[in-house]
Amino acid sequence: MRIHLDGVWKAYGEGPGQFWALRDAHLEVSSQDFLAIIGPSGSGKSTLLHVMGCLDLPTRGELFIDGEPATKKNDRELSHVRRNRIGFIFQQYYLNESMTALQNVLLPLELGKVKDRKRKAEEALDWVDLSTKRGSFPSELSGGEQQRVAIARALANGPEIVLADEPTGSLDSENGKKILETLIGLNREQKVGLVIVTHDAKVAACGTRRIEVRDGRIS
Amino acid sequence: MTIGGIAIGVATLFALLALSSGIEGALEREIGGLGAHILLLPIGCPYTMTLSLMQGADTAEFIPQEAVPQVRATDNVRATVPVVVGKAKVNGKLTSIYGTTEDIFLTKDWRTNDLSGAIVGSDVATKLKLKPGDRLSLDLYAEESVTVTTILDATGGRDDTFVFIPLAVAQKVLALEGKLSGILVQTTNLSKVTGTRYTLAKIPGVQAVPPSEVFDTLIGLFDSVKQTLILITGIAIVVGVLTTMNTMTMAVYERKREIGLLRALGSTRREVFRLFVSESVLVSLAGGVVGLALGYAASFLLPRTSGFGIQATPHFKLAYVGICLLVAVAVGTLSAIYPAMMAARTQPIRALREL
Repeated sequence: MRIHLDGVWKAYGEGPGQFWALRDAHLEVSSQDFLAIIGPSGSGKSTLLHVMGCLDLPTRGELFIDGEPATKKNDRELSHVRRNRIGFIFQQYYLNESMTALQNVLLPLELGKVKDRKRKAEEALDWVDLSTKRGSFPSELSGGEQQRVAIARALANGPEIVLADEPTGSLDSENGKKILETLIGLNREQKVGLVIVTHDAKVAACGTRRIEVRDGRIS
Repeated sequence: MTIGGIAIGVATLFALLALSSGIEGALEREIGGLGAHILLLPIGCPYTMTLSLMQGADTAEFIPQEAVPQVRATDNVRATVPVVVGKAKVNGKLTSIYGTTEDIFLTKDWRTNDLSGAIVGSDVATKLKLKPGDRLSLDLYAEESVTVTTILDATGGRDDTFVFIPLAVAQKVLALEGKLSGILVQTTNLSKVTGTRYTLAKIPGVQAVPPSEVFDTLIGLFDSVKQTLILITGIAIVVGVLTTMNTMTMAVYERKREIGLLRALGSTRREVFRLFVSESVLVSLAGGVVGLALGYAASFLLPRTSGFGIQATPHFKLAYVGICLLVAVAVGTLSAIYPAMMAARTQPIRALREL
């Protein structure tokens, strides 16, 4: 899989209150890459990640998925990319509180009506060392465990690239380290492309490529 | 609360359908049960007179008994059944008595031809604990006594509530000697009923009315009441739609993060739309089922008369269950369209960020 941003601008709001979160961004990421995106808060790192993951479309410029312009794809095609080819990990985990760990991991598999989904979800939980917590609800798990459930959920569909938005931002250093090790293992062992947004220099140092975003511009 | 709102609308609809059908059926059965092709009634409102005849109620107007030979002599008349009805004390309890002659056997499918004593309807027999051979005391303006000859099988109609006795005895008890509440006429040739009706109408002090005309008028009156009730039911259903729409809209706001997450994980707009519509339909169906149960119970608790004094049992049909559940599904679908569209339009990142 190849994600390519060609002169992407992204604005929020309209009129005098309009704010440009991304300005003329050029970037290319492929499966197996480990890209770290750093920058101060509000610099446009997350917006960049969201545009790369087809969660938001550019205001100007073009986003290409395997050479095809994303703006030409309809909602079903973009949803298919998010469902089957990209995994998302968020700083706040965004787990469904009323579902167990296993049910949370099953969610994207059920959306995709994947065959043998229970086994796949259990395998994903095994991979993040949470096979014993599969029946636990998010409120019964520590922050680190919740983030590992979120990683398992991102992995369950066998994505080609995982986009992680400050995955260790809400964790203490010990749990942060474990999550980072898990993600690095994901990239090295499962050959899954990894894009991490972080403002932690140590995390950024683990990436094979690093870019910095300032005032919406990539440097 | 949403289920309750829908349940009230569906319950009202179900009870209305079952009761209307029951009342219409009862009217048809009662008027048909008179066994007459033409009713000869005193001059006055024919509908009030017919109902009095069916209910065994006292009336102020009467037909002179001298009219009977003229009726019998009319061409195409097969049976002439003189009738006098009214309330009298039967064994001390006020009961409808029905004085007639043995001509009544030509219009009734009873298993007796003996009107030498009293033929008692099943409800009266139960109420007064009567059996064949018992003596009945009749008292109002005069006191008479007759023997019970037959207890009729239950029909579910007005016959169950009458004590049928010889005409002369009834006239004496009610002080109506030489007077009749009405005459039931059966014709030989049904195709000539109209002609016979006009001939009979020429008899002084008498009006000739076909029961079908009375039935159509009473049904017409009932229909106008029914239409008002349908309007009220419609309002209840609209309230159900608005309540469900409000609940679903609130649900969309409350579940914005969940919707954002579903969209981020790859749900299409159509899938999110379907999710909310199907949830709404499920809630509405649950409301529909509760409504059916409430409507079933209510139809037994509400007054079971059409306003015409005819007892009617609610008539339940499978089709009514189907109609009510279809209405519930329609309520669920209609009320979910706008909130589901809102949910489907949710921008995933904006939804996740807002919370």
